[in-house]
Amino acid sequence: MTGTAPSVMAGGGIENASPKGNRVNLRFIDWIWHVEGSLALAPGQTGDDAFDRLDPLFRQPGTSRERSGGALVFRKKNQAAQDKMSVFDGGVLRIENGMGGLVLRYRLASRALLFCFLAPLLFLGLAQVTIAINAHQKPSAEERSQKPAAKAADVQQNPIDKALGAPAPEKPGKDGEDKHDKKPSPTPAYVFAGIFAALYVAGRILEDRLIKALFKKRLLG
Amino acid sequence: MLTRIFAYPGGKMDGIRVGNRVIGTQAPVIVGWENIPKVEGGPVKQAFFTWFQPTMLFALLAFWYYAPNSIAKASTAVAIGIGFKVLLLGLEWVNPRYASWRLTWKELTTDLFYVGLTYTLLRIVDGYIGSDTVVKAVQHQFHWDKLAWFTGLPLLVQAFLISFIFDFGQYWMHRGMHNWYPLWLPHSVHHYITQLNVNKGAVGNPVELFLIGLGIGGFFDFLPRAALMAGTFGLAIGTYQHINVRFNSPKWWRFLFNTTEHHSLHHSQDFEATRSNYSGSYIFIDRMFGTCIDGEAELLGMEGGRRMPIREQMTYPFTEGWKTLRERFARTAAVPAE
Repeated sequence: MTGTAPSVMAGGGIENASPKGNRVNLRFIDWIWHVEGSLALAPGQTGDDAFDRLDPLFRQPGTSRERSGGALVFRKKNQAAQDKMSVFDGGVLRIENGMGGLVLRYRLASRALLFCFLAPLLFLGLAQVTIAINAHQKPSAEERSQKPAAKAADVQQNPIDKALGAPAPEKPGKDGEDKHDKKPSPTPAYVFAGIFAALYVAGRILEDRLIKALFKKRLLG
Repeated sequence: MLTRIFAYPGGKMDGIRVGNRVIGTQAPVIVGWENIPKVEGGPVKQAFFTWFQPTMLFALLAFWYYAPNSIAKASTAVAIGIGFKVLLLGLEWVNPRYASWRLTWKELTTDLFYVGLTYTLLRIVDGYIGSDTVVKAVQHQFHWDKLAWFTGLPLLVQAFLISFIFDFGQYWMHRGMHNWYPLWLPHSVHHYITQLNVNKGAVGNPVELFLIGLGIGGFFDFLPRAALMAGTFGLAIGTYQHINVRFNSPKWWRFLFNTTEHHSLHHSQDFEATRSNYSGSYIFIDRMFGTCIDGEAELLGMEGGRRMPIREQMTYPFTEGWKTLRERFARTAAVPAE
């Protein structure tokens, strides 16, 4: 879209984009939470007919829509998980003249994509917090030396378990550590940072394809 | 015998009397096992979805019972837990209970966010004020030893007792959450989920997740292997509370254990139906205390199925509690002094 066409903000709000100002700079990064694309309408299909076919998608709880001329603007709030467009919070669909006839162009905003993109930062932050807490609580050499020695008493295995062939239990403290004193590890936070990075890439590609397939099915089906 | 299915006429429903209350007046519910849909398909598929749950439980128990000490470790349990949940996500894809509960990218991402919080933020908090930490402090203060006689019991008995004691506590905590407003506030947000999927158990306000994780297991000493087996009871039974898979669970299984059917009823949009099936793994605890209803629901959630965003889930118990307090004090102030 160009000029003063309606644009979609991260929160699903719509504003008229000015060619100047902050919005221009935002364009360099707003692909993170925006999905855009275009679909050629069937020969002979009018813009009104196309919007009529897409209309059921916007007749969902928490969805409001406005149609004016060749554009449809929608917003969603607290959309149901069962809404086929639940990942999007707002967007603009326009019918434009293309090279080979009318074309549907859409630009949709998703807070879920934005938050998923940012989630790794949160988990990396939690990893750092965990490391900082562990460092703060590190016992001094004196405290470590005062720690009572682990009990070396044998743990009795129940005769039933022995008869059934279960391995005999190890002596407590064999690993030289008190398992109850284990400190939280930053590893899960790193793992979840990785998971959300992968989820973002998968979601950005998947939702792009799914919405295109959904619009195509509605328009041509 | 409870054998009625409720159609959804869109208006007020008659409901059905279950014990001394009437359920299903606000949203459709199914009551009675014979009315719950069965797995559709050939004999292999039917057999698989009939015997999958018991087979996995017994296989996992046998694994932990006989695994050498070098393998019977927490890291193995974590790997098995992740693998098992990935397998269950695959089953959700193959044989969903309801199409309306189908997992989307957004739902998966949201669920995993809460799982992530459980493994990170909550673990840090638990390190300070978790029940194990508190129990340890109490034992230290009063110079109590752990109840060591526990370790002499057969492994399976130890494992069952660990998991039963925890589930018994969880039953009362959960029941308390549904009956006492200050506890309901943090738990209420979990009831805004509108579908059941494998990781939905983690969805909720962190305060609630902390409360529901409290237990008195720290007072007992037990073999590490027994703890791993107790975890298996949770994994291979409790996980099925939140899952979108149609199973033909054997009769004995659904008599003893909590199932998706039971828990979907607990998450129903019908208020009275939610006041049932509180246990995590052992539904016989609900049977003991008269809160069990055998049935199922598809329409889940609160406020007609409004999906509560993550930000609101984090703040709702506090904002709602504050609102209630203000209203209460405003009413008190408005009453003229006699």
